[in-house]
Amino acid sequence: MRKVGLLIVITCLLSAMAMGSHAAGVDSSDSSEYLIKAGFIYNFAKLVEWPTTAFPQPDSPIVIGILGTDPFGGTLDRIVADKKIDGRGFAVKRVKWSKDFKDVKDCNILFVSLSEKEHIDSVVEAMKGLPILTIGDAPGFAKRGGIINFTLEDNKVRFEVNVEAAKHADLTISSRLLTLATIVQQAAADGRKSE
Amino acid sequence: MKHRIAKNQRKQAAGWFRELGNFGHGKSRANMRVCLRERVGHTLGGRSQGTDSITPLRRLCLLSFLGVFLTVTTSAQTQQNIPDVTAITLEDLMNLQVTSVSKRAQKLADAAAAIFVITQDDIRRSGAASIPEALRMAPGLEVARIDQNKWAIGSRGFNGRFDNKLLVLIDGRSVYTPLFSGVYWNVQDVMLEDVDRIEVIRGPGATLWGANAVDGVINIITKSAKLTQGAVVTAEAGTDERTAESARYGGKVGDSSYYRAYTKYSDWEPTVGPTGTNASDGWHALRGGFRVDSTPTRADSLTVQGDLYRTAYGETLTVPTLSAPYSSTFPNSGNYSGGNILGHWNHAFARSSTSLQMYYDDTNTVDNSLFTDHEGVYDIDFQHDLHVGESQEFVWGLGFRSIQDSNGSSFTVSLKPNHNSLNQYSGFLQDEVSLFDKRLRVTFGSKFEHNKFTGFEVEPNVRFVGILSKNQSIWAAISRAVRTPALTEEGLQLNEAVIPAGFGPCSTSPFPCVVSILGSPQFKSEDLIAYEVGYRIQATSTVSADIATFYNNYTNLRSAEPGAPFVEGSPTPTDVVIPFVASNKMSGGTYGTELFADWRVVPKWRLVGSYSYLQMDIQKNKDSSDPTPDNPNGASPRHQWYLRSSLDLPKHLEQDLTLRYVDHLASLNIPSYYSLDAHLSWKPIASLEFAVGGQNLLNHQHMEFIPEFINTTPTLVGRTVRGSITWRFE
Repeated sequence: MRKVGLLIVITCLLSAMAMGSHAAGVDSSDSSEYLIKAGFIYNFAKLVEWPTTAFPQPDSPIVIGILGTDPFGGTLDRIVADKKIDGRGFAVKRVKWSKDFKDVKDCNILFVSLSEKEHIDSVVEAMKGLPILTIGDAPGFAKRGGIINFTLEDNKVRFEVNVEAAKHADLTISSRLLTLATIVQQAAADGRKSE
Repeated sequence: MKHRIAKNQRKQAAGWFRELGNFGHGKSRANMRVCLRERVGHTLGGRSQGTDSITPLRRLCLLSFLGVFLTVTTSAQTQQNIPDVTAITLEDLMNLQVTSVSKRAQKLADAAAAIFVITQDDIRRSGAASIPEALRMAPGLEVARIDQNKWAIGSRGFNGRFDNKLLVLIDGRSVYTPLFSGVYWNVQDVMLEDVDRIEVIRGPGATLWGANAVDGVINIITKSAKLTQGAVVTAEAGTDERTAESARYGGKVGDSSYYRAYTKYSDWEPTVGPTGTNASDGWHALRGGFRVDSTPTRADSLTVQGDLYRTAYGETLTVPTLSAPYSSTFPNSGNYSGGNILGHWNHAFARSSTSLQMYYDDTNTVDNSLFTDHEGVYDIDFQHDLHVGESQEFVWGLGFRSIQDSNGSSFTVSLKPNHNSLNQYSGFLQDEVSLFDKRLRVTFGSKFEHNKFTGFEVEPNVRFVGILSKNQSIWAAISRAVRTPALTEEGLQLNEAVIPAGFGPCSTSPFPCVVSILGSPQFKSEDLIAYEVGYRIQATSTVSADIATFYNNYTNLRSAEPGAPFVEGSPTPTDVVIPFVASNKMSGGTYGTELFADWRVVPKWRLVGSYSYLQMDIQKNKDSSDPTPDNPNGASPRHQWYLRSSLDLPKHLEQDLTLRYVDHLASLNIPSYYSLDAHLSWKPIASLEFAVGGQNLLNHQHMEFIPEFINTTPTLVGRTVRGSITWRFE
């Protein structure tokens, strides 16, 4: 029994030491995962076509909203800062949860963070019919009506596309994007995961 | 699925992604050239160029830069120098590996238990040819080979061929037999290429998995059919394995269904016993199976899978006989055959999900000298997971299991009655609450079950995980688990030895005396209260460590109490039985600690190490008259450690070396041993892999275990070499 006590003390000491020693803090924003995902989002913007009504001006920026806890930690802002697609720049903003989603309605892309996984259904419901490319980060997002959803397979980033939801949002998704996606609805045409 | 708490896949971090980082980091031209030559084919060749006008070289530099960034900045929020991921095509992005440091840290932090995950990559690189061989990679697990087809595998003590405190599941199907409470390790096999991971939980898991998950739970989880598309053919041969072949094919039906089918055959050479004679313990096994995974609707996923197998084994067996010389040693043989079919349906609702699982498992045992047994297990399980509010997750479930057994006896082993029908009902509930901004998570719940022998059993636990910082966590748990009686403990007669009339304890008898172990309807469950503490740290992006400490307090452990001798008229000739009756008069404590550390020295070289310490102090109770000296104390090693080096060499070569130490087994007189295993694999093209492996390269031969109850001759584990070819194609 005495040795048990000793072992527990050692374990606690080790943890105390480790707590004090401030080993390299690993932030989710430092993980390559969200850097890679930021790259994906930029590519999505390139390969998705919005209806002209989605932008007030021909040179209005593509507005990316991040709903919930921002896992990019500023990476996304910096990545797209000076990029242009068809003459449009980018604007990234953090949007708050509100009943009428007034913050969200002027976004062209809405990234729904994992922290909002409880609210997926209400987000999807509120976005219905709006030309907003919803991108989720929680299992089942696309299946539940989101347009694109990130998944991880074998440590690689993959994505699902709900083609029907894209149609409802009046967005045209290029076939190049679709061939790389996992299509999550039966109504899907010929979308197939590459590899 | 019930393995939900154990999702901390120890994912292969980095992969070539970090290699690139290293090349860039070195900034040497030579390295860069290597980088080009080596990697250009993998990452850039054959990829659609899409609409991007970036040259392959520029893209490679970008990728390298990205790697440097990820290697170098693990903490500081750099305001600049973020690689321009927008210049990478979608196709190339899809090929990048996530260095999931934070992900992994978080997932590890999720588990308030001593969990270790053996990945597909670990299995492949170790050259393991069977599940027991793969299990040698789990820290703290005791894996000892008895003869070519029998193993003793245990966790935190009580190791034995009939270790009854370790629950083993394959894709959610329990392979723990209610016959003797334990696992037929020579029956359990899968296509190793299709294994996703083996989760090894040391310590009790009874609240989720139920009775008999006392000292550990092993979950062998195969990949979904979606991830095993295409064909794999393997062929292997070696000095101990005469031949082994396997083939699998996976395909797709419609838009949402995937299937695979496999077959596998292996044939093993006999080994030699302690006296150097052939132990006749060769064996062969043929099996086949399928799996279908389907997502018929958005919310539903369905799995149906099944296997069929037949194995035939040999051994050298010693049994008592009623006439002189009162014992006989001879080559024995037998076979196992059977099959199983399992269905699993998962349905997701908005804030909850339900799953329903059913299976039937049939095991037919024919031992030509000891025993025949046919066992059918029907199992149905329902589980409902729901989120309550922002910070609670509630799970409850119901289960029913029906076991039908019919058996046939020999003089050595007999079981009464010859037909048994056991029904087990169970329910569990567990709540997980997050507190203090999710820095503390408390999980509490209990299993309630009812079995024919001991009635109601309650197995509660409470677990805490504290997130100390982003890269470290501490956990603690208190749990109760029970080991319910096996059929054999209720109605067995196992004759261990015969004493001729007129000798020793048989001096006054006109008949020979038979020393027997008897089951008893009074035998109760064995109980455990376990206290555990653990700590995990991801010290840097390349170093992580994990320590778990436990104290287990057991009561009502099995003892063998002498009973009143009685005369037995059948079988003839008449004999006097000197019985030792299964009773619950042992108790005590075990404690120990298990350490695991993982260091990626450089991206191409990984070192992992493990050390475990175990101290057992199990005593007979004061009212016990059990005269047998052997209690479980000396049958598990006190110290075990291993060190494994995994090196990626140029030319698509991978080299793995494992040095393992296992302490002596005091009560079995088994000396300590070192074992060095080496494995080298070469992938000239992506679809073809050649491998050569050697086991036990240091010493010529050693003994690992001496089995209890049944007198099978244990054999020497010798030096072996195996070679294999694996071919994958669409």
